[in-house]
Parts: sequence; structure tokens; C-alpha cells
Amino acid sequence: MPRWITTAAAITALGVISPAVQAEPLKIAIIESLSGPQTSTGRLIATAAEYVIDQANADGGFNGEAIQVKEYDNAGDTSGAATKFREAAADGAHVIIQGASSAIGGQVTEDVRKHNIRNPDNPIIYINVGAEAMELRGKKCHFHAFHFTTTAPYRTVPLMQVMSEQGDLGKRVYSINQNYSWGRDMETAIVDNADRFDYQVVDKVLHEVNRIQDFSPFVARIKSENPDSVITGNWSNDLLLLMKAVGDANLDITFGTIFMDQPGNVANAGNVAEGHYVAHSSNIELLDEAGTEAYRKATGHYPVFIEPTTLNGVGLFAEALKKVNFDGGDIDVNEIAKAMENTTFDNGLGGMHVRKADHQAVIPIVVSQVARDVKYPVDGTELGFKPIKTVAGEDAIYPAQDSCRMRRPE
Amino acid sequence: MRYALIAILALLALLIIAPPLLGTGWQYALINALIAALFAAAFNLLVGQGGMLSFGHAAYFGVGAFTVIHLMQSVEYGDIPFPTVLLPLAGAAVSLLCGALAGFFATMRSGVYFALVTLALAELLHSLAPHWDEMFGGEAGLSSMRMPSLGFTFGSTLEVYYLTLSWVVICIGLLYAYTRTPFGRLTLALRDNEQRIRFMGFNAHGTKIVVFAISAMFSGVAGSLMAISNETANYSVFSTQVSALVVLHTFVGGSTIFFGPIVGACVLSLFTFVVSGVTHSWMLYQGIIFVLVMLFAPKGIGGVIQAHIEQRHALPWKRLAAPYALATLAGLMVACATVFVVQSLEIVLSREYAAAVARTGEYAPYTVFAREWQVFHPFTWLFPVLLLVPGLYLLRRAFARIQTLWDKDDDDDGDIAAAPRELMEGGH
Repeated sequence: MPRWITTAAAITALGVISPAVQAEPLKIAIIESLSGPQTSTGRLIATAAEYVIDQANADGGFNGEAIQVKEYDNAGDTSGAATKFREAAADGAHVIIQGASSAIGGQVTEDVRKHNIRNPDNPIIYINVGAEAMELRGKKCHFHAFHFTTTAPYRTVPLMQVMSEQGDLGKRVYSINQNYSWGRDMETAIVDNADRFDYQVVDKVLHEVNRIQDFSPFVARIKSENPDSVITGNWSNDLLLLMKAVGDANLDITFGTIFMDQPGNVANAGNVAEGHYVAHSSNIELLDEAGTEAYRKATGHYPVFIEPTTLNGVGLFAEALKKVNFDGGDIDVNEIAKAMENTTFDNGLGGMHVRKADHQAVIPIVVSQVARDVKYPVDGTELGFKPIKTVAGEDAIYPAQDSCRMRRPE
Repeated sequence: MRYALIAILALLALLIIAPPLLGTGWQYALINALIAALFAAAFNLLVGQGGMLSFGHAAYFGVGAFTVIHLMQSVEYGDIPFPTVLLPLAGAAVSLLCGALAGFFATMRSGVYFALVTLALAELLHSLAPHWDEMFGGEAGLSSMRMPSLGFTFGSTLEVYYLTLSWVVICIGLLYAYTRTPFGRLTLALRDNEQRIRFMGFNAHGTKIVVFAISAMFSGVAGSLMAISNETANYSVFSTQVSALVVLHTFVGGSTIFFGPIVGACVLSLFTFVVSGVTHSWMLYQGIIFVLVMLFAPKGIGGVIQAHIEQRHALPWKRLAAPYALATLAGLMVACATVFVVQSLEIVLSREYAAAVARTGEYAPYTVFAREWQVFHPFTWLFPVLLLVPGLYLLRRAFARIQTLWDKDDDDDGDIAAAPRELMEGGH
């Protein structure tokens, strides 16, 4: 027993002396869906985030040490995410990156908020690169959460604007969306902008999420209203089957979409997709070739779908790290968060920064059209996304929500 | 019985003493295992004892969770004073009501029709919840914070762990006590022969409603504990996945024994926690375990343990030791071969590996079992075969030997040993 005590004392003494020698490494936890149905999205996010951190490490890391990244598999459910959050917190993570689902985003952002209230000395930053629910920037907003993806109104406004300028929006707009918070956010955005872009919402439909196999009854309804364009926030099967049903009915209607660039969509839809619009936060056609080729060399593919958003978000974070210096001492996460508020990052399309009121990133939005004459065709087809116009972040962004009351640390 | 009591007390002591020595990740994993155990025990009251297979128990679990999160929000905003430690009571009450209501309809039928009605009722909630933001919080879910109560802040995971442990121990104790009451016996009779119950003058439908409601109530407690621990509730809790998981836990553990589902839930939850941190193929392993248990030990892990305990005086332990050791060794060989192949494929077929091959033009060696392997070296693929073939052969031999030893015992006293034969052969 006495020997044990002396050893313990010796170790403690060493522990007191050593911090000056050993710098504290910055630890990043990627809590993503790496198994189960959402793996394809989760994997893309993890790959893109690790790519940026690898580059930062190649440039000398942070605080005199390499930045440490660890993947945590939340298995696609909120309980799994809660478990992995606690594991990551116990591992001493300073930053958490997540994005494949708003449900998990809700869990992670709340876990981070409560962790920071209970452990004000060891706060954690949440970097959201994919969860689009408005509520995360509204009622659930807090100082340590940063949202680098867009929301329903954020993408709808530029989409409408460009479609209107191109003369493809028309006067009669049809709104069809999935009946849950995201789809309802979309519908609100479509209805709210009617006066601004001078159109009439001829009908609005909310339908079940990913349960409908045959959209022909909906297409019959669309046909009877004779719209010029259909705006939808649908994703996955709900988007594909809807487009196909409209194509089968030989209707000449332009689609304005949010998720057309999900891998596989263009291949599945085929020629039906041609001429339709998509609003996204980046388009590879506009990016610097050296950068995209470097990305392909490292990961085996060009940045697609949610990867550019992740590259932008984590890129801004890495840029902010250059503004803080702890001289190899303890890392103050609040300082990093404040630096992120004051960082402007060029994502290849223009400058992006974080809005202080709700920590929503102000990002330029690209509106593209599915077309043949493109540099990077997708999904092994001849089609790709031809950029029509880039709308500056300030022109596209929605006003900060009143429900966000952010408490800032002193 | 005395040994059982000692074993339970020892386990309880371990559950009380060990967690402070573990990290918060493990503490939280234990909380989840305890909640899963209570949920499985509550579910098994219906399935194992009442003979009613429900495919929609997520509904009552979720109702408990949402009840508690709403109550927690009211407490947080100061509308209602309600002690944190007693929150599960509210979840229990609401789930009891919902269970009685749903049970009234579901128990009008039995067998497959009963299962389908429970599934339909759960799906009703599952499809309703995303449309009702005020009640279920939309995609981002509802969230609250635990308020201090009885001198505890409930800020640390450890305090939540002890709260969960207390509730789970009390509830499992109550569920066990239930099986000992005359009504508990009636539940068993309901499973064995419903007709007979009616002839004996009991109201079979009424009894089934009560059993259903009690099962729903304890599921609600489990859901409440989950809401307290996560401090959030999301409508994904109503998904069929949650209902399926509790079925999986119950059958892997063994639905015919009271403690079976509890063992199954603990083992599988902790398995998920540990293995999902190591490999992305953990769902595959979980599926393999389920299939193996269903094929070779249909009474579940609990059934295997119980058969051994019942036969402990009759079995020739000394002669069994060698074949058991052999079976363990052979099992390990087969498991190693399987894990090796799965992990190798996971690495070699991954995008990262494909990207590395495209970048460097060569197939780099990869690491499994702390050793480097060449993709195209024959030994890499011979290695699992060398483990698998003798492993399977030895496993068969060992089990044949074990079977004869159990059967010999069968000759001595005929009737009790019917179980192990069933256990080894997979008959029902």
C-alpha cells in the first residue's frame, strides 16, 4: 500500500509538471451514421471532414500538435448518437462534427448545450454540416452550435429567383412536399415568396414520407392545375418517383428541387431529369480544378452532394484555427468559437462567414440545371449540373428567427 | 434458490460498485443496457408468459418517453413542481392507460392477428407523430433538462445511472413478484390454453387486457428512463426498429425464462456498444448471433443457462469438461475465421482502400488481428479456411460427444432431460 501511494504521488507530481512539455492536441469527434441505412451520407461527411483535417495537419496541425480525429458510429439513431456523444466527451473531444440527419442533429446539439452548461470549463463546439431543420437555428440555437448547411427558405429563395430570371418559374407554381417538419418548412417558404417573385401557388400537397410507390394520383392532381413549375423539397425515392411519374404523363413542367444532386438520382431519373433545377451550396463545375483533382486523388471521387458543404464548414473552422494561438497551452474552446464568428472563408464561389445572431453560415447558393454540356457528368450518364447563377449568401439568406435567444459566454 | 439469491445480490453489488470506476461512455452504455433489460422484461410478460407476440411495443415505450419529456419541460419552466426521481411514474401511468385502450382492441384476436393489430396500432402513432409538431417536436425532437431533486443535481451520468438502476431493479422485482401471484399463474395458463381459462370461469379477454396494460406500463417506465437519460425524445422512437429490437433481445435471451430477456438485452446492448466502436459490420455480427441462437438454442441464452442449472446434479461434469473446452476452442476458431473474412472484406472493399489503390496503383497490405496481410497472397485467404474447416469438424465432434453425455443422463432419469436434447438439436 505505501509503495502504491508513493507511485501515485510521483505520477501526480509528474502530471503537475508535464503540461508545459506536452501541448494539448485538438480533438475532433465525427459522430456519424457509419452503419445502417444512412451510411452513404454519413460516410461522405466523414470522408470530407477528414480530408480538411488531414490538410490542416499537413500544414502543421494546431497548438503544436497534430489535430486528432476520431470517428464514432451513431448507427443512425438518436440513442446511439447520445451514447457516442458521451463517449466522445469522455475522450476529451473539443469539436463534434455531424450532419446526416436532423433528428440526430437535434440530439447532438442539445447534448452539446447541456454538456456546456454543466461543464463550463470544458465546452464543446458542434459543427453541423447537414442537418437542415429550421428549429436547430431557432428554438434550439446556442452559442456553441454552428450550422454550415442551408435550410428550406435559404435554398428556396435563390431557386425561385433564378428560375424566375430564366423564365422557367412561370405564374403558376405547384408545391408538393413530404409531410414532416422539413417538407412543411419548404411549403411555408414557397408560399411566403409568392409576391416577391410574382407567382401564384396553385395547389400545395403534403404527402407521406418515403411510403408512396405510385405518384400517378398526385400527377393527375398536378395536371388538373396546369402549373408552369413544380417546386419540391422531396429527397430520395419521393423525388425520383415523382419526377418519373410526371415524365410518364408527358407533362412539360419544370421541377425546382433541393436534392437532385444526391448521388444516383440523375442515373435513376434518366432523361426525365434534364432541364430541371437544383439549388445547392456548391457546384463542382465552378470550383478550381486543382482542388477537386486533389480531392479525387485522396478519396477516389469528386466532391458530391453533401461533401462540398462539409468541406466549406470544416474549412471555415480550420481557417478560424489560424486566428487563435494558445502557445502550446490549454485549448480554450470559447476562443475558437469566437474566432469562427469573425472568420471569412473563400469556398471557391465567394466569401462565407457565420451570422452572429444564430450561427447560421452565410454561404453563396448555386442554382444549376441538369444539362448535357457539362465538364463533370454524374452517375455515369451524359448529364450533369450546369451552373446557371450563383446567388450571394446575403441575398439568399432568411432573417434570423426570433425564437433564437443565444446566450454568449463572457 | 439460495444460490440464485446470492448470485443476484452479487450482481447487484457489482452494478452498484463498478460504474464509478468506468468512464462516462461505459456508464451511459450500462444505462442503455438496463433500460433495454427492463423493456425486454416488460415485453416478455406479454410474449413469454401471456403467449401474445406484439410487434408494436415501441408505441408504449415511446408514449412513456414523450410523457416524461413534456413533464420535464413543465418542471424546467417552473409550471409544475415534480421531483425528477418520480418522473417514470407519470410515464407508467400514461402508458398503462394507452396499453389498456390498445389492449382492449388487440386482445380480441390472438396469434398472428394479434401481432398485426399491435403492429398497426404502433404504425398509427409512427405515422401520426411527424405530423404533430407541438406534441412530438418534429424532426429535431423535444428536449429538456433534468432538474435537481432530493439533493441530487442529476447533472452527471453517474447519478442518472443510479436513478436508472433503482427503477430497473424495482420494476424487474415487481415483474418477478407478479409471476408469483395467482394472477401471474393465470397469465401462464392463458398462454397454455385460453379455452380452459374460460371454462374455469375467468374472463379471458379481461385478463388479457390487464396483462397487456401491465406490460405496456413497464415498457413506459423503460421509455421514461430513456427520456430522463437522453433528455430528449424524438418520434423515431416509434419506429419499427425499436419494436424489432426488443423482439430480438427477448428471443436471443430466451422468452420461456423470466431472466432470459434481461440477459439477452444486456448482452446485445453491450455487444452493440463495444463492437460498433470497432467495426461498421456490427449489425451483421448481431444478425449472425440471432440466426445461430435461433438455429441451435431456440430457448435462447437464458435457456442454455437454465438447462445447465436444472441438470447440475445429474450431469457428468468431469467427463463434460473436455468436450466443452474443445467446443469453446473450435467455436473460437470458427468465429476468428468469420471475423477475419468479414473484416478483410470490409477493409478491401471500402472506398478508402479503392481510393488508395487508385492513387498509388498498388494493393497495400492491411491489418487484421494486429498482423499485416497481402490482399493477393494465397495464405491470406487460406488462413480463414485453415481455421474454419477444422473448427467446424471439431465443433461437430464436440457437440456429438456432449449430446451423448447429456443423453446418458437421459437414461438415468427420463423426463427432465428432454430440454437439453431440444436445446442441442434445435427442435421446438
